[in-house]
Amino acid sequence: MRAFEVINPGVYTSLQDLGRPGSMKYGIPASGVADRFSARVANLLVGNPPEATVLETTLFRLELLALEDLVIAVAGGDLSPLVNKRSLPMWQGVPINNGDRLSFRGRKMGFRAFLAVRGGFAGPQFLGSRSVFARGLMGNPLQAGEILEAEKSGVQNPFLIPLPAEFIPDFSHRPPLRVILGPQQDRFSPRGVETFLSSEYTVSPQADRMGYRLEGPKIEHTQGADIISEAIARGAVQVPGDGLPIIMLWDAQVSGGYTKIANVISADLDGLAQVMPGEKLWFSAVTLEEAHQALREERTRWGEVQRLTKRNG
Amino acid sequence: MEDRPKIIPSGDSAVLVEFENRIDPEVNRAVRALALTIESDRFPGVWEVLPAYRTLMVTYDPLQVEYPVLVDRIQGCLNRTGRIDLPPRRVFRLPTVYAGAHGPDLERVSQILHLSPEEVTREFSRARFLVYFIGFICGLAYLGGLPEKLRVPRLTTPRTWVPGGSVGFAGGQVNAITTDQPSGFNYIGRTFVILYDPRTFPPIPFTAGDEILFPPVSEEEALEARGRRAEDFL
Repeated sequence: MRAFEVINPGVYTSLQDLGRPGSMKYGIPASGVADRFSARVANLLVGNPPEATVLETTLFRLELLALEDLVIAVAGGDLSPLVNKRSLPMWQGVPINNGDRLSFRGRKMGFRAFLAVRGGFAGPQFLGSRSVFARGLMGNPLQAGEILEAEKSGVQNPFLIPLPAEFIPDFSHRPPLRVILGPQQDRFSPRGVETFLSSEYTVSPQADRMGYRLEGPKIEHTQGADIISEAIARGAVQVPGDGLPIIMLWDAQVSGGYTKIANVISADLDGLAQVMPGEKLWFSAVTLEEAHQALREERTRWGEVQRLTKRNG
Repeated sequence: MEDRPKIIPSGDSAVLVEFENRIDPEVNRAVRALALTIESDRFPGVWEVLPAYRTLMVTYDPLQVEYPVLVDRIQGCLNRTGRIDLPPRRVFRLPTVYAGAHGPDLERVSQILHLSPEEVTREFSRARFLVYFIGFICGLAYLGGLPEKLRVPRLTTPRTWVPGGSVGFAGGQVNAITTDQPSGFNYIGRTFVILYDPRTFPPIPFTAGDEILFPPVSEEEALEARGRRAEDFL
């Protein structure tokens, strides 16, 4: 089914699902939605399975023309979504009509918004996933004039009332990013580690789905920045010879030869997806147990949203 | 007596097993043996097993398997790696056209090495390169086994665009890039065999432990291989 015509593709807009787990051994990043909670909630709100394909966009300008009566939901960062000239409520399913114009006027909070459509977006699959990764010849970012198709089948009832506020992440609150130190912590001087954990860093303009390059105080190595190349985990903070950290993210290369001082914990990656270039962030070291506890809490919250939308949908 | 490999966390959802800190076929063999042992172990909660030159990353779901339990399990696998048979080594011979537009760095590399371009090509195309592991981006095979006399540094300014299939080296490393990329390697030739296709499974032809040779052919012969799978050149 034809769902939308792209009037303006916006900034870094692409189809994403939960990515391609198992692809790293073939030298291919897993990709997938940058903020998994927001994207999966958007799907539940229109009655989709959480893993359905959504549109991920940043900042502003995306504009779509509905080619069908649809049920949509926008979750994630607040980019001021409008339907025609009226503000579109986020974090709930909303019916829209054939001929309506959906646009994103500009960022108020967060960085990335996720648009789910009832049925889920269609598109070619590569290695079992529709996540666009242009550098790997797997689809392209949105183009003006493109027609976006949606699936029709296999959906539950949509959730057409506002999601309770307790489940909506507060992107204005910016706690330190929690990290596990290592695996090459010993390649940095104690002063270098101290610099990393006590300084404020600014997300540079070179921040995209591959990674966030940071600007701020330089981190001191002990014996150079190079290691024998090895696999890179999502959220790894690598520090090349210039001493400035780079957080390796969703579309990052899967292996590399720079020292890694730390790794952002899994529970904080969704929040990181909502930080935009020019904004500040800082780090705090936690234990593995604390990281796993944070992940358990995240999973509990997700379970509650799933139960709620199932009950009221 | 060698030290036992060290197992350390790499973030909250991966562990890193570190072997001896050098690029060496025997060390890499131990990494691959452990990778295969863990894969055949099929332990619940383990996501991916990612071998590299001298480390092995195991990614896992910490809510399904606790870190200490996983570490014990990997220790157990380490004790059993001696019993695993690595798959037989496959040898790929990828027809390669050297020099000219396909090998933009051959002349310069020859000058640095005080060899003729023909000698560089001959030395390079005689070598058998071991696939240490697959990584970087778009299924790049990290190759080793470059003859000592062909050691040259990376370009001081990397090229912003190198066509896929370009064959080159820098330091002791060798690669054939799979898609158009920026790169700082010295490229002396090109193969037109398909090295990466995400529409197929698996998307890449090589696995760690395979060997690749780049026999010199005419441009015409090299182009005949365009669109053909690497498996046709075993």
